[in-house]
Amino acid sequence: MADLTFESPITKSYPAGSGDLTLSDISHTAKVLVRADVDSPAAQTLAVGFGSLRTEGETIVSGSRPDEWMILGTAEGVASIAGSLDTNGHVSVIDWTHGRAMFRLTGQAASSVLEKVCSLDFSDNMTPDGAVVSASVAKVSCDLARNDVSGSPSYLVLCDRSFGQYIFDTIVDAGTEFTISANA
Amino acid sequence: MSPASSSRLPEQDGEVIDRSSKVRFTWNGKNHSGFKGDTIASALAANGVKVFSRSMKYHRPRGLLTADFLDPNGFVQVDDDPNVRSGHRLVEPGMNVSAQNAWPSLNRDIKAANGLAKRFLSAGFYYKTFMKPQKLWPYYEKVLATFAPGGKVDLDTPHGYHDKRYAHPDVVVAGGGPAGMQSAISAAETGASVILVEHDHQLGGHLRWGNSDDLAALADLRSKVAGFENIEVLTNSTVTGRYEDNWVAIVQRNHPLAVERLIKARAKSLVVAAGLVERPYVFAGNDKPGVMLSGAARRLINMYGVKPGERAVVFTANADGDALVDDLTRVGIEVAAVVDARSGGNIVEAKGGPKSVTAVVLGDGSTVKADLLLTATGWTAPTSLLNMTGDRPAYDAATARFFPVAPPDNVLVTGGIAGDGSLDVMLEHAAETGRLAAGRAATMAHQFQSMTARAADMQGETPAFPNDDRTALPRDEHPALFRSTTHGIVDYSEDVSSKDLISAAKEGYDSVELIKRYTTATMGPAQGKLETVNTVAVLAEHRGETIAEVGTTVWRPPFAPITLGALGGRIFEPERVSSIHGWHEQHGMVPILAGQWIRPEHYGDAAAEVRNVRNNVGIIDVTPLGKLDLQGPDVPKLLNHLYTNKWSKLAVGSVRYGMMCAEDGVVLDDGVTGHLGDDHYLMTTTSSGAGTIWEWAENWLQTEHPDWQVHVTPVTTAYVSINVAGPSSRELVGRLCDDVDLDPETFKYMQVRQGTVAGVADCIMWRIGFTGELSYEIHVPAGHGLHVWETLMDTGKDLGIGAFGLEAQRIMRLEKGHFIVGQDTDGLTKAPTVQMDMLLKTDKEDFAGKAELVWSMDPGVRASLPVLVGLQTTDPAVVPEEACQIVVPGTNEILGRVTSSRMSPTLSRSICLGQVHPSVAAPGTKVTIQLVDGNRVTAMVMEHHAHFDHEGERLRG
Repeated sequence: MADLTFESPITKSYPAGSGDLTLSDISHTAKVLVRADVDSPAAQTLAVGFGSLRTEGETIVSGSRPDEWMILGTAEGVASIAGSLDTNGHVSVIDWTHGRAMFRLTGQAASSVLEKVCSLDFSDNMTPDGAVVSASVAKVSCDLARNDVSGSPSYLVLCDRSFGQYIFDTIVDAGTEFTISANA
Repeated sequence: MSPASSSRLPEQDGEVIDRSSKVRFTWNGKNHSGFKGDTIASALAANGVKVFSRSMKYHRPRGLLTADFLDPNGFVQVDDDPNVRSGHRLVEPGMNVSAQNAWPSLNRDIKAANGLAKRFLSAGFYYKTFMKPQKLWPYYEKVLATFAPGGKVDLDTPHGYHDKRYAHPDVVVAGGGPAGMQSAISAAETGASVILVEHDHQLGGHLRWGNSDDLAALADLRSKVAGFENIEVLTNSTVTGRYEDNWVAIVQRNHPLAVERLIKARAKSLVVAAGLVERPYVFAGNDKPGVMLSGAARRLINMYGVKPGERAVVFTANADGDALVDDLTRVGIEVAAVVDARSGGNIVEAKGGPKSVTAVVLGDGSTVKADLLLTATGWTAPTSLLNMTGDRPAYDAATARFFPVAPPDNVLVTGGIAGDGSLDVMLEHAAETGRLAAGRAATMAHQFQSMTARAADMQGETPAFPNDDRTALPRDEHPALFRSTTHGIVDYSEDVSSKDLISAAKEGYDSVELIKRYTTATMGPAQGKLETVNTVAVLAEHRGETIAEVGTTVWRPPFAPITLGALGGRIFEPERVSSIHGWHEQHGMVPILAGQWIRPEHYGDAAAEVRNVRNNVGIIDVTPLGKLDLQGPDVPKLLNHLYTNKWSKLAVGSVRYGMMCAEDGVVLDDGVTGHLGDDHYLMTTTSSGAGTIWEWAENWLQTEHPDWQVHVTPVTTAYVSINVAGPSSRELVGRLCDDVDLDPETFKYMQVRQGTVAGVADCIMWRIGFTGELSYEIHVPAGHGLHVWETLMDTGKDLGIGAFGLEAQRIMRLEKGHFIVGQDTDGLTKAPTVQMDMLLKTDKEDFAGKAELVWSMDPGVRASLPVLVGLQTTDPAVVPEEACQIVVPGTNEILGRVTSSRMSPTLSRSICLGQVHPSVAAPGTKVTIQLVDGNRVTAMVMEHHAHFDHEGERLRG
C-alpha cells in the first residue's frame, strides 16, 4: 500500500501572523454525510436537530439540513458514530472527507471577518455557539457551524473542495484588517 | 509661493483645523498651503481665492455658495480624481488641485463666450437646435460634448481598494447632528446596537459652527457617544439608500484600509436625523462670487478660521441669519447692512464684475457697496430617505418647508426634519426617538429569533411593539422666500435660471416631472437638495398655484452620488480548480475558463496531444465532470424518469449512456450512469450541467415523488477524475491496479469496476471513451488525486504518456462524432434532432419530456426539425468558424449552422458537426457555408456523425 498523504485543496503558503484571529485549514478532517428521515432510528442515534450541533468527544455531529447530518472529526471518531447507525430503511452514509474543504476561523473578530463575506446575522442571539447554517460565502454555497473554542468565538466553514483555495484566500483577505493568521 | 494668507483669522473656539500642521498643495499649478483639517475650499478661501469654478453652460465665474459637501460651485480635479467636492475633501500634502470646465484657465475661459449666445442656449436648447441637417450630427455631437461639465478621467488610474461588509444593527441613525447623536445615545442606553452615520468629517451638525453654548453642548454629546461601545460611529460616511424592510446602504469613506466601504445593513429601526439644508434665494446676480449662504460664512469663520470677505450685506429671515451678524462682527467683518425679510426687507440684485460682488441693490432701491452678500432665507428638509420608504412629505406653508407624513413603523424621524425648537426641546425629542427605535428593534429581534432553527433559545414572550407616544416638535413660522422680484439662478450645477423654468413651462413642460427633465433642474450633483423647493416655487408662481398643489418629484437612491467603486466593492469571482491544478500550472498549461473552473486548454500543442493519444496514451483531468451519488431502492425509477431511455435492467457493474430532456422536449443534458452496487449508482453529467441536473433531480423527488426512496448527493469534487486514453491505456492502468481484472473480455466497454489504483483504495473505474480511444475513466478520492496523476505520468513514460487538455479532447470527440449538449444543441433543440433514436423509448411510463418527445417524433413534426449531421468541407484546409450559417446557394436564406468545427490532426482535414434543415440532411448532399469573412465554401453531409472509426473498434478494443 502506498504511503499516502491527504492532499489539501489549500496549496499556498502564508506568512506567519500574530494576534488571536486565526484561520486554519483542517480539510483532512474526516467527514461523513448521513441522509435519513427525521424520525428514523439513525436520526435518533444522531440526536441533533436541524440547525444545531453537538459534540461527542472530539467528534461533531451537526444537523446541516432537515434530513441531513454531517459527522466531523478524526477517522476513528467519525467511523465510530457512523458505524453505530441503524441503516435499515432508507439511510445513506457517504464519505465526504475528500469532497469538502474545511476551515476553522477563531478569534474575537471572527464574526467581523465573516460579516465581510456573508450576509448572515452573526450576533450571539441569532448564531450562538452550536448553531449550524448554510449560506452564501463570497458567492459560494457553504456550511457554517459555530463551535467556540476555549471561550473564543470559532466557526467551521465547509465548502465544495474545488472552491477551497478561493474561499480560504477570500477569508484571509477579509481578515487582513484584523491581522489574521493563516495556517495552511 | 502662495499669496499671503490674508483671509485667515486668529484661532476660533470651535475650529477644526490644526494650525501646527501645515499642508502644502497646488491650485492650478500655483503653490498654496493650508492646515490639517482644512477642506480644499477653506484652504483656498484662506488664501484669498474667490473664484473656484465656471458654470456648466455659460462659464460664469463661481465662488463658494455653501462651502460644504453640497456646494455646487466647488467641484475640482484633484490629481487624477475628477469632480471632487472641494467643500468636503480635506487637503492633503502634495495634492494638485485644478479647476474643471475652463479653458485655457479658470481666469481666462474662452468658453465664457457662450454667454453671448445665451438666448440660443436656454434650457432644453439641444432639443431645438443642432437637429438639422441630420448629416451634421457627428459634428453636433462634438459641439454638445464641449458643454459637458466635469473633470478628466484617467483610464490608467489604479483601482483603489474598495470593500464591502454586512451588518445587522438594531438601530441605524442617519445624521450625526445633535438630534442624531442624542437618538444614538438613548438607543444605546437600552443596550441596542447602533450605527451612527454622519456624512461630514465630524459629528455635531450645526453645533460645530455655533456659539459657545452650542460648542459646550457638542462636547457633551460627543463625550457621551464615545462612552458607548455599542455605538459604531461612521463619519465621512453617508446613508445612501433605504430599501425594503430597512435594508440600508451606507458608504463609509473613513475606513483605514479601503478607499470606500459599502455597508449593507439590515436595520431593525432606522432613525432619520438628516437635519435641514439651507436654501438659496433667487435674484439677479445670485451666482456671483461673494454671494453665499449664511451657513457657508459661519462655517468658514468658526470651523476654519477664514474671513469670507471684508464688507457684508446680510439678508436674513431667521435666527441663524441673526447669529451670522454676531459672528461677522466678532471677527471684524464690516456689516454694511442687515436686511430683514421679517419686516418686509428684500434684496433684488447682486452687482459687480464677473469675479466678485461689489454692491447689492436692496428692495427699496438703495445700493450698498459690499464684497459679500449673505442670505439666510430658509430651509429645505432633505427628505430623500423618507421618500424611499414610500412616504410623500407634505408642504407646510406656514413654515415654508416639507414635513414627513407617514413613514413606516420601522423608520422614525427626529431633528430639523421633524420640527423646530430650542436645543433642549430637540434633544428631548431625539431621546424619545432613540428609545422608541430601540424598543421597536427589540420586538423585531425577538421575532427574528423565533423564525430560525439555529437561534438561541428565547426568554419570555415577544415584547409588544411600542406605540409612538412622542411629543411632536413645534413648527416655527418662516417667511416663504424663494424668488425676489428679479430672476436668477435656481440650479447652480445645471445653470438653470428662473427665466428658463418659466420659459419651459410656457412651452408646455409645466408639470414638476416634465420641467425637471426638460430643463435638468434638480438633476445635478446636489440632487435637488438646494434646488427643488425653489424650482417648485417658480413653477407654482407661474401656474398661479401653491407649492403643495404643484408637488415635487420623488427622490430615489442614492441620497448622495455614489462611486462605481463603492458599488463594485470587493469583487467576489469564485474560481474552481482541481487537485491537479498546481501540476497543470507547472507543466505549461494554457488555461481556459469553463464556467467557474480553470482548466487546461492545452499544454502548448493540442494537435500533438491528439496524435499522442491516438498513437500512445494520454491522460486528461476531467474532475469538473458532474457526478451524483444515487442511493436507494427507487433509483431505477428516478433514472427512468429523468432519462429518455430505459434503466430498470442495468446490471451491477454496467454503465449506460443516456440523454435527458426538459419538459418541453429540449435536450437538457447527457452522460453515463453506472450501477455500482445494491441500490447504489453513480450518475455523471456534463461539467456545466452538474448543478442543474442535481437540482432537476431534487425537484422531481421533492415535489412530484417524495415517496421515492432516493438520496441524490453531489460528489463532483469528492473525486479527481482522470481519463486515461489511447492504445496503451490498458497496459498503463494495469501497471497500477492489481485488484481489478482488466482483461477486455472481463471488463468490457461500458462497464464499471471499483478497486485500488496506485495504492489508493475506493477508486471507481469506467470503461467509456469520449475520445473514441480505448480508455478508462478513473475517479480517485480527491485527497489522493495528485498522487495517482503523478504516478500515472511516471509509470507511463516508456509508453509515451502525455497530458492532454480540453482542446485535444474536443478535437477527438469531434473526430468520433460525439455531440456536446450546449455546443451542438441549443435551447430549442428537440431530442430527435440529434439522431439518437435508440435512446428515445417512448413506450416507457411517463418521464420528463415524454409528451413533447412523442409529439416531436411524429413524422409530420419531425420533418420540420433540424437534423444534426457530420460535415466535411470540399477544401480540407478550410475550417469554418463555429456558428457559421449554412445557406441556400446564391441567397441569404438560412438552412442551418455549423455547431462544431476543427482541423483534425488524425485525418489531416477539417471536420464539422452542424444542424441543417431536413431537406439537405441526406448523406452526400452538398451544402454552402458562409464564412465570417463573407466568402462561401461548399461542404458535404457525411453518412455518420463520426469522421473516424465510426464502428468504434478502437473504443471497444
